[in-house]
Amino acid sequence: MATLNAPHLDYWALSPILVLLAGALIAVLAEAFLPNSLRRTASSALSFGSLIIAFACVLKEQHKTTAHAAIGSVTIDRAGIFLQGTILVLAFLSMVFLVDKDQFVAQASALPGSNEERVSLKAGRFQSEVYSLALFSLSGALLFVVANDFITLFVALELLSLPLYLMVGLSRRRRLLSQEAALKYFLLGALASAIFLFGAALLYGYSGSLTLTGINSSITGSNNNSYLLILGIALVLIGLLFKTGTAPFHSWVPDVYQGAPTPITGFMASVVKVAGFGAFLRIFYVGFDLAVTSWKPLVIGAAVISMFVGAIGTVVQRDGKRILAYSSIAHSGFLILAIVSLTKVTLISTLFYLITYGVATIGIFGAMSLIRDSVGEVGDTNRWAGLSKKSPLLAGVISIFLLSFTGIPLTSGFVAKFNLFTAVFVTGNWWLVLAAVIASAIAAYAYLRIIVQIYLSTTPASSVTVSVPSIATRVTLAITALFTIVIGVAPSLLIDFSNTFQTFIR
Amino acid sequence: MPINLGFLVAALQLGTTHKPEAILFWVLAPLVVLAALAMVFVKKAVHSALFLAWIMISLAIFFIAQQALFLGIVQIVVYTGAVMMLFLFILMLVGVDSSDSLKETIKGQKTAAILISVGIGGLFTSLIARATVAKPAVGLDTANVAGNVQGIATLLFTDYVWAFEVVSALLITAALGAMVLAHSQKNHQITQKELSALRFRQGDKSKAAGLPAPGIYALHNAVDVPGLLPDGSIATQSISKTLEARGEILSSDKFELQSNEEVED
Amino acid sequence: MDISNYLYLSAILFTIGIAGVLIRRNAIIVFMSIELMLNAANLAFVTFSRTNGGLDGQVASFFTMVIAACEVVVGLAIIVTIYRTRRSASVDDASLLKR
Repeated sequence: MATLNAPHLDYWALSPILVLLAGALIAVLAEAFLPNSLRRTASSALSFGSLIIAFACVLKEQHKTTAHAAIGSVTIDRAGIFLQGTILVLAFLSMVFLVDKDQFVAQASALPGSNEERVSLKAGRFQSEVYSLALFSLSGALLFVVANDFITLFVALELLSLPLYLMVGLSRRRRLLSQEAALKYFLLGALASAIFLFGAALLYGYSGSLTLTGINSSITGSNNNSYLLILGIALVLIGLLFKTGTAPFHSWVPDVYQGAPTPITGFMASVVKVAGFGAFLRIFYVGFDLAVTSWKPLVIGAAVISMFVGAIGTVVQRDGKRILAYSSIAHSGFLILAIVSLTKVTLISTLFYLITYGVATIGIFGAMSLIRDSVGEVGDTNRWAGLSKKSPLLAGVISIFLLSFTGIPLTSGFVAKFNLFTAVFVTGNWWLVLAAVIASAIAAYAYLRIIVQIYLSTTPASSVTVSVPSIATRVTLAITALFTIVIGVAPSLLIDFSNTFQTFIR
Repeated sequence: MPINLGFLVAALQLGTTHKPEAILFWVLAPLVVLAALAMVFVKKAVHSALFLAWIMISLAIFFIAQQALFLGIVQIVVYTGAVMMLFLFILMLVGVDSSDSLKETIKGQKTAAILISVGIGGLFTSLIARATVAKPAVGLDTANVAGNVQGIATLLFTDYVWAFEVVSALLITAALGAMVLAHSQKNHQITQKELSALRFRQGDKSKAAGLPAPGIYALHNAVDVPGLLPDGSIATQSISKTLEARGEILSSDKFELQSNEEVED
Repeated sequence: MDISNYLYLSAILFTIGIAGVLIRRNAIIVFMSIELMLNAANLAFVTFSRTNGGLDGQVASFFTMVIAACEVVVGLAIIVTIYRTRRSASVDDASLLKR
């Protein structure tokens, strides 16, 4: 029998993921052994601590020269490092809102409206497992953007998704709505995983390899239109479109965004989106590059449909979270444009777009959760009327984010859109840029309508109040808003930085 | 223009099997497809689960036939053993006869769904039939030379060891998730002793000794017959609420003494 | 018999799984259909493993089984939670979100 040599995994390269996993495991142990009163503090301290250490690990690894770790399962390249860093920063910002006890169910196993629920609410309980779940999900996200074979990709995808399915169902108010959102997300997510997996199986059959590089190298000129290859790519694409919430596979997005606790929605719309698109870019850039002619029409179709479905949805909807859900569908459409014309410039502008969009999204979900009435959060944007009179500061912050989504100059959103659209334009897809601009213009109406309502309405809704945010929340809102403006005014700060992170290694 | 009937002739040649395997395939495969169709169309969820279990066992046989002995065993242990048991367990918990109402909420949805599925199926099979692969078919004899289990173990602990390690996190997540949704931290459970003390301290003293027993009659084994109070009225608390809801309560009338005269007789 | 017959079987099972997801409204049966799709993918992996002469496909299929087990735990936990809340497992009843 052949002897088995112990594999060299290069644990330093994997250290950010390992740190988060360790944090999550210690948090689970803390749940098991600490008294009720200490759990929440311990878990949150552990999460923020491990996030900071993981970020330090990413910083340490950023100049690494060896690209492959874990025997080729993982590629640590510049783009991967950038995505990991982005995910950690966004996670840190969005986890600040996770501290808000008022958003999460006191005890998930207690039936809504039952005596048990009342008792646990009164006892001030908190389902602090949320932190370890979030850390597990994050480690999946970090792995997803650097994974280099389909087994690792699938494992990372599930590790990213499973905790999310659970967290979506943990809203404190309107619990049935939240649980239904969890069921919907779970069923469609599992369906997407199955489709993704079948695609991977066909690709394996075609190429005899599970690695992205192996698949790409087997695509030769003579048989690059094999039906097995095309079908495999299409199924993997459908799985990814589902997971990133891109039309025509977007139907879960508005419901899940609305039903989930607001901090989790922020987490999904920023961290998960970045992870999804990071992997999307890597799979198509590294794995399917030589078959670009066969999948391009599919991706273009998805991009255009997504832009318009999202834009029209934002105009039609009235609920704040649903508007943002459709907005995120539209932004997915813009982001997919970069995959259509994969060059180094589009890659940088996509990374730039992801980080600016993620920061603004976290900010607006955080700000939104402060608008309350006696029942809970006020979702209906009509009732935001006259918000500027109640809290000029909050109204200002929300407006900054909305202007950024619209793409008004001097906000980060404008720079991101401008960069992305010019990068796509240069590759000769001018009509795609035209479609994107039209879609942006449609969506702009929805965003501006909210701003008008906030500022110009003379009849403020009386029952609506603005809750007093904690210091951490204030700081986070300030950081996200400042980031949005500073990058809008001086984009070169971030562009020069991201320019050095331009490559996926094949 | 000639119609391309390529999908009718299997063009994807991957190599041939031995005769016994072909017989096995042609016996089992139709049954598997039938079971799958039955799983989708049968009304009761439990029947669906049993059909799915049958599909999984058949697939395990296919795995073993295709030189994947280890997977065949794991398929039976993990899928039919653990996963299907869990499914059946939950079905029993949720209610065995939780059958779908077969009426459509969206009109024509079912027909549309069947049409779409047939379309997808046709597309898939015809595309696979016309597909080509980049490499010629090889067979597993060289890969399995040291044994199938050894071969898989070698890959699992070298090339895919990182994924193997990460899967452990996934398992912990699953356990944690089930705990979050199902485990309730007991808010101080009232003991029997405390309960009886409570009965004496507050409320109706007549119930202090417990609820009235159901009527006991010589003619009938009578948990389903309400007992009578000393004044002859029916003691509603003497029978189980569940029996009452099921409508399985007999009236105590026919066991009652008809009149004083009859007794004297 | 050509080995590709296993692939046709796998594709058919996958399609029937999709049909189940589209047609059925009982969340548990929908979920079982998804399991059927995963099984179909496993059959494809094992078949391709044979034609490609490497065991990577079998390893992939092994991972799928483990992951499917995790998914089942989480999924059924969510379904039971909803059932406890509203005493029904039909997807149709989960319609508060529809506007």
